[in-house]
Amino acid sequence: MGPKISVLNLGLSLGNSTILSNINMLAKPGEVHCIVGPNGGGKTSTLRCILGQMPHTGDIQFEWGENKCIGYVPQFLDFDKTLPVTVNNFMTMVCQNTPAFLGLRKKYREAVAAALDIVKLNGKEKTMIGNLSGGERQRLLFAQALIPEPSLVVLDEPMTSLDEAGITIFEDLIQDLTARGKTLLWVNHDMAQVKRVSTRVTVIDTEVIASGPTNEILTEPMMHGNFRAGSPPSIKVSGEAA
Amino acid sequence: MMGLEGFQQEIMMMAGRGIVPWALYYEFVFNAVICALIIGPVLGALGTMVVAKRMAFFSQAVGNAALTGVAIGVLIGESYTSPYISMFSFCILFALLLNFTRNHTKMASDTLIGVFLSISLALGASLLLFISAKVNTHILESILFGSILTVNQLDISVLFFVSVLVLATGIPLFNRMLLSSLNPALAHVRGVKVQLMEYIFVLMITVVTVACVKIIGAVLVEALLLIPAAAARNLNRSLGGFMLWSVIFSVSSCLMGIIIPMQFDIPIPSGGAIILCAACFFLITSLMRGFMPQFREAKI
Repeated sequence: MGPKISVLNLGLSLGNSTILSNINMLAKPGEVHCIVGPNGGGKTSTLRCILGQMPHTGDIQFEWGENKCIGYVPQFLDFDKTLPVTVNNFMTMVCQNTPAFLGLRKKYREAVAAALDIVKLNGKEKTMIGNLSGGERQRLLFAQALIPEPSLVVLDEPMTSLDEAGITIFEDLIQDLTARGKTLLWVNHDMAQVKRVSTRVTVIDTEVIASGPTNEILTEPMMHGNFRAGSPPSIKVSGEAA
Repeated sequence: MMGLEGFQQEIMMMAGRGIVPWALYYEFVFNAVICALIIGPVLGALGTMVVAKRMAFFSQAVGNAALTGVAIGVLIGESYTSPYISMFSFCILFALLLNFTRNHTKMASDTLIGVFLSISLALGASLLLFISAKVNTHILESILFGSILTVNQLDISVLFFVSVLVLATGIPLFNRMLLSSLNPALAHVRGVKVQLMEYIFVLMITVVTVACVKIIGAVLVEALLLIPAAAARNLNRSLGGFMLWSVIFSVSSCLMGIIIPMQFDIPIPSGGAIILCAACFFLITSLMRGFMPQFREAKI
């Protein structure tokens, strides 16, 4: 079972700039909660605050079950593409403390093989990650998030390089995780996908424009990226997380 | 060190009988070989991380800072052949300051390291010229480019201690350090203290660089961290091979750089000879990568 996450009056300022102001939102187990908004609106910053990576004001409350594991799928990996790190090396690096150059330990082999199988990267274990396509690299990042089994999955725009097949793999996996009661937090730009997959949505542009069930929040202008226009006034944002 | 002395006697006897290169008959050559066998694996292994984390010029900056450390040591009355206290103190302070500045400014790493590198070189050169009247100029040359003639038991002990410390720290933290450089946010979610890893890595490079100044030289230590790893990267497609070949190239370069000039009476400093040997490995592996399809990566 995933955690319930309540974000209360979250604020973030860097220097003289206000990045986030009075953000309130609620993410529940078994739901896909998408965070949408314009570029520079503070979506990734919200995620980073929730993950405890940025100093912030306000309160973020987690109500965990037994499993407190977080699976995080970042936007990209920043590395030298000629670096000799294979898919297996990468999975080894994130799974175990024993140095990756000594190989994957027996007790992790099954889990790694299963994760790579889920994202259809089996057979690519010995391929250098620099030689993977952008979409394959995103699938690899998703595979690492599955070990150890997470109760909260946080996705930071992982779909940018994916083709149709990759998107199908992702969406199937997300539906499976949701069905198993995991909590999913997802920064997403693809409004059609948000409408298709998410349960709840929060629209952020420095502050919360709207937050609530997807079918109530996503208006036609929003579907076309016009987040300020036509946000339903009936949604009580601050009351949502309380 | 009794065991080492006994081993040295054995090697000297073997050199006398022509079983091993005759140069090993001399104590200073034997000491240099021991140093090579210690620093080779450490620099080779650490080099893979330096390449992966794109920190090559950081060790160059620390090497230059060692010049200032030597000058300060001479000024405060330390032994001018082994001013380790001032070298370690100044270089560690310098490295911590550099990393702190890097973490607290939005300046690109290469710009900041370039600034610190220039400052350390200017400061070191100025202070060394200031003290040049007090010490033999050959001492300065040996600091810059290394000299196996001046390696003694103290240097071997310092190298050994530093190498054990770096390996004991670096091996258990290898995955966490590498993951931190690939994606700090992902590393953080996985419980890695990213900034602490950075500081530990910086300290590891610093102490190794300082400990190697005597044999390779302040100017060239960075090259031995970089070239064997770069050569190994030419041939390998996985971390295991990368690490193994980097260590092999590093140890071979150190041994060849010490033995060949002695054996063939070539008057070049040990540091220069070691780096030239490493450069040969890099050249050969680059050609292999260029002309042999099995070493070329697939193009996406």
